[in-house]
Formats: sequence, C-alpha cells, structure tokens
Amino acid sequence: MAPAVRFDKVTKDYLRGGPSQHSLRDEAAQALRRVLVPWRRGHAGSPLTGRRALHQVSFDIEPGESVGLIGPNGSGKTTALKLLARITYPSSGRIVVRGSLGGLIEVGSSIHPELTGRENIWLAGQILGMAKTDVRRRFDEIVDFAELGHVLDTQAKLYSSGMQLRLGFSIAAHVEPNVLVIDEALAVGDAGFQARCVERMGSLVEAGTTLIFVSHDLPAVEAVCNRGIFLLDGELQVDDSTPVAIRSYLDWVDSAHQARLADATAPAPSRYLDLERVECADRDGRDRYVFQTGDDLVVRLRFRATEPIGEPHVNVGISDGRKGMLVLCTLAPSDQGRGDGAGTLDGWFTLQCTLHDLPLLPRVYQLWCSVQAQRGHADLFDWQAVGSFRMEESQEQRRDSRAVTASDGPVFVSHQWGVTRG
Amino acid sequence: MPGPILTERVIEAPGRPRLGSSLRELWRERGTVLAFATRSTQLKYKQSILGLGWALAQPLAFVAVFSLTLGRVADIPGTGVDYAAFALSVLVPWTFVNISVSLGAQSIVNDAGLIRKVYFPREATVVGAVLSAVVDLAAGLGLFVVLGPLLGAHVSFWWLLAPVLVLPLALLVSGITLFLAALNAYYRDVRYAVPILVQLWLYASPVAYPLGLIPHRWRGLYLVLNPLAGILDSFRRVLAVGTAPRPTTLLAGVAGSLVIAVLGYWSFKAMEPRIAEVV
Repeated sequence: MAPAVRFDKVTKDYLRGGPSQHSLRDEAAQALRRVLVPWRRGHAGSPLTGRRALHQVSFDIEPGESVGLIGPNGSGKTTALKLLARITYPSSGRIVVRGSLGGLIEVGSSIHPELTGRENIWLAGQILGMAKTDVRRRFDEIVDFAELGHVLDTQAKLYSSGMQLRLGFSIAAHVEPNVLVIDEALAVGDAGFQARCVERMGSLVEAGTTLIFVSHDLPAVEAVCNRGIFLLDGELQVDDSTPVAIRSYLDWVDSAHQARLADATAPAPSRYLDLERVECADRDGRDRYVFQTGDDLVVRLRFRATEPIGEPHVNVGISDGRKGMLVLCTLAPSDQGRGDGAGTLDGWFTLQCTLHDLPLLPRVYQLWCSVQAQRGHADLFDWQAVGSFRMEESQEQRRDSRAVTASDGPVFVSHQWGVTRG
Repeated sequence: MPGPILTERVIEAPGRPRLGSSLRELWRERGTVLAFATRSTQLKYKQSILGLGWALAQPLAFVAVFSLTLGRVADIPGTGVDYAAFALSVLVPWTFVNISVSLGAQSIVNDAGLIRKVYFPREATVVGAVLSAVVDLAAGLGLFVVLGPLLGAHVSFWWLLAPVLVLPLALLVSGITLFLAALNAYYRDVRYAVPILVQLWLYASPVAYPLGLIPHRWRGLYLVLNPLAGILDSFRRVLAVGTAPRPTTLLAGVAGSLVIAVLGYWSFKAMEPRIAEVV
C-alpha cells in the first residue's frame, strides 16, 4: 500500500530572520540599484541570512501509523508539520500526502473572539475542511465534547481562555481527516479534558487515522505513538520504534546537559588541588553513564595536589538538582576513629567511592564533591557539582505500571505494607 | 485503510502560479470562501447599532456633500437627470469599491493567526471580504430602487442590467484587493497607502463628474487606464438615465476588469507561498 505521507529529501530554508527588518522602501531601493547598476548584480543581492530548518529529510509513514516527532526546540519538528499542512513550502524535495490532512496546530487560533460559540463552530469547521453537512452532523458532538452547551450563543471573547481552547480543540478533533497532525495541543484545559483528548486521539488512531504528533511530553508520545522520529538541527537522527527514538533523544539531552554541566562545573581553581577527571563506573570497573535502580556506582575522582595534604575530609554527594543532597558519602580522617583515612596525599592520586545498590529512580543526577583539610575546616576543594550520571528504568519498572517516578520522590526503598484492624 | 480512493497531493517548492488549478481549488473550497464571507457580514452586526445601515449611510452622505458643493456651485453638466440621482447611481457601486478595497486589503494581515496555523486557499479570506461587500452593494441597489426615483432617476427596464454589471465590478475589485492584500502581508506600508490610493481613485473616476467632462481625445486613454470608469458610467446610464450603456465604454470597462482580475490573482498566487512566513 502506498504510504500516507512521504518525505523525499525535503529541505527547508527560511530566507530571512523575520519580516520586520525590511520595508518597501529598502526593497524598492534595492531593486532600483539592481536596475541602475547591472554590473554589480553578482553581489547586489543581500547575502542570505537564512536559517536551514530541515535538511534532506526522508521518511515514509504508512496509513494507520502513529508517529511521534521528537527533538529539542528548533530541531525542525514544527517546520515539518507546517510543510505537511501547506502553511509553508519546501525549498527542495517533495512531500506526498494521500487523503485529507487536518491539524491541531495550536488550536486557539481558529476561534474568532467577536463571534459566538455557534458561529465559531460553523466558521472554523469549514475553514478546517469540513463540509457544511459534516458540521451539521457533528455539531452536537462538538458542543458536548467542549462542554459549552450553556454558552453557545455567547461571544467567544467572553469565554475563559480554557473555554476558548476547549472549543478550538473540539472543532479540530471532529474534522476526521485521513492524516491528523498535532502540535503540542494537549496542554489544553483541565486534567479531565486532557484525558478526553488523549482518548479521542486514541480512538481516531483505532479508526485508522494516520497520526503525526509533535510534543515535548515524552510519556504522551510513548502512550500514543508506535513509532518515533528524532530530529536534531533539521536532520533526521533516528527513525525507529518509539522507545528507541525516545531513548536516543534522551541520550542526546543528557550529553548536551553534560556538556553544559561540564562548562558550568569546570572546577573552581584551587591553590591546593586540581580535579583532573570524574568517572562513573559499574562494579566491574567499566566506565558508564547510565545505571539502573539497584546497580552499584563507582565514582572515581582523579586529583593532583600541589603540596602534601594530610588526612583530608572528602565528601561525595548526589543531587537531583533540587536543594540539598539525596546521598552524602564522607571519607573522614582515620584519627577520628571512623573507617580508613586517606593518609597523606601528594601529587597525582585517585579517590574511589563505591555506592552499593543505588536506590535511585530514573532521571539525571549530579555528582558533587568537596575536599577539606583535616583541621581548621579550610576548603581545599570547594563544594560543587563535578559530574553527572543517569538512572534509567529497568525491565521490571517498565512493566510495573504503578512504579513511581523520580519526580515524585527520587529514592526508592523496598517496602511492604500491612494493615492491622481494630 | 479501506474506504474511498484517496487523492494524492504533492507538495513541492513553489513554481510559477497556475491560475487554472488555483481556480479549481478555489471552487472546491467554496465552502471556506462562503464561511469567510459569512463571518465578515456577521462581524458587521456585532456590537453595532446601525450594522448594514453604514453601507447605506456612506453613499447618502456623499450624495449630500456632492449635491451641496459640486451640484450647485460647479454646475457640472449632467446627463438630463437631477444631480442627486446622477451622483447616487454611481456612489452605490463606488461605496462597494471603497469598502472592499479598504477592508479586503487588510484581510490577510487580520487573519494572520489563522494563516500561520491552518491551510486554506489564502485568497478565500480576501474573496470572502469582497463577497461580503457584495451583500452591502445589493442593499445599496435596493436603496437606489426606493430612493432613486424620488431624487429624479428615470425608472426603466435597464435597471435589470445593474446586477449584471456587478460581475465585472466585483472581478476588478477582487483583482486589486488580492494584489494589495498579499503585498500588505510583506510590507505594512500598504495599510497607509490604501486610503490615499482609494481617495485618488475616487477623483480619477467619473463619480462626482460625468464621463463627458473628459475631453474626447483623452477619453479612450482614460477608459483604458481606469477600467472602473467604464463600469461606473454604465451604472450611471442604466440606473440614473435609464438607457443602455455605451457599448465601447462598457467593453473597455469589462475588458480592463478582466485583465486586472487576472493580473491581481496571478500576483497574489506568486506572493502566496511565503505569506505565512512573513505575515
């Protein structure tokens, strides 16, 4: 069967930064210059200050598939949708769409504030591609879905913003095109309405609608889409099943985050200690960045001391970015009678701390570190973030729908409930 | 998916405008055009006491002004009818031109929110604005039927030709408005230029004065350069004088209107692909 949507080496350049920088006068002056000074034509035109939004992107989407487009801001997701919807046109390459296409691209725009709800349904319904008979047939459904029956003959400008969004989404959701395109439309209305929207999308997909969904809400993408396309800087990075695409996107997010962190956390220079390298490894000593709940984490800190350090206090902490540490591991001087001290250190040395059975839930965590002198509490190495690692969900966690997420509470402790009555 | 055979649409880098397929698409999407026209008319009644009355107030006000100034002082040779009827017969179609161009030129910019988010043939909003003004024009013609005879117009069967004359007039106005609306998306200068252009067009057309005022040797050129002149003169002959339009005058107006309609639509289609990026 022919694909529902085909992108064939599609490239899109936006020619200018924006429309506001030029006026008819400039343009006329330029045109005049071109006419009057023809021998300068070669370089008379202003250099293209364009932006490449998409570069040679190709993919096919089969009828009935639901595909999530993911990637950071400015990666070309929305441009891809705009090309599909014929709002802008490609600079080169071609797109083939089979059947009708409808979109929920920021749905509020189709609502006119001066018109009543009823007038808006007729207007927007037809602009979005419904025939008059379709609007008549689905009118009640649209009203019910938006829950606006009581204000149908009130001007939309008197609606709350939530009511306007609900009306817009409801109209768009009842167009029933062959290919449905959704750009971040789910941040609409209250939780109950959002749930109905996801339900509605699900039922459209079940009915055979091809769905293309752009969102930063990765769980929603994972819930609705069976395929993911990861775009980065206008180029197609990964085109695979949704979990694989999401994972490569998250890996990129982490590495970008890490690079930023590395910049931000370049250790403050110390007179006594240079932190040369921070490594995370598993229990077999292999370097790793991604861990699962229950793994061992080995943190290795490579330092160089410019003068001998006697019996330092070393702290290693784990933070989830919020205030305070989740975990703090302290290496105390031996003369305080707790464990083994580090002794006297000089020149190059590596401190290694092994954390057993990490009880952390999936997300990115920061590693913090400080080194203090044995007495006087002088900081040899200030308390600061020095690295990061990521926890990701294990097979069991993925299967267990009740699993809590790190944002609810990042530390997982195995537990058991009991009830005593009377 | 089982079901009807799905049409395949190819989206490519825009090439030369193809008016034939554009017109076919516009016809397929006539529902959208009518929806825009309906909205435009609905909006005229929102929070407005006079509503459609404003479309009638404008020609009447001009008739009063012209009659008081030009009709008495300048003693412009009429065509055998009272100046008031002479002026009203042309001010009704002129008001249509004025409203269509003034509102229509803004329509793309006014609908920027929609245009950046939803596809529809962009000319639908412009043509919708013109169509909505046709409703006003119909009301204006109705006004003339009632008021014209009282002001001295000759009742005749030729009145039946007036609705037919609306067709070339609407084509001419659509062509001009399409061009201005698309240009306005790129350059907001248009917004400020339109009132001036409309004002100049009023004086360059036989509204306040009869076509006969133009010297004979210039009249041909005048009619070719300003297709509106031929159409307005035909309205005047039909409505006020109650005779047939001058064939060459009408022909010049209709031919010129067709040329402008095609040029306007072509230029609109040439500017259309990037409208959503610049508006």
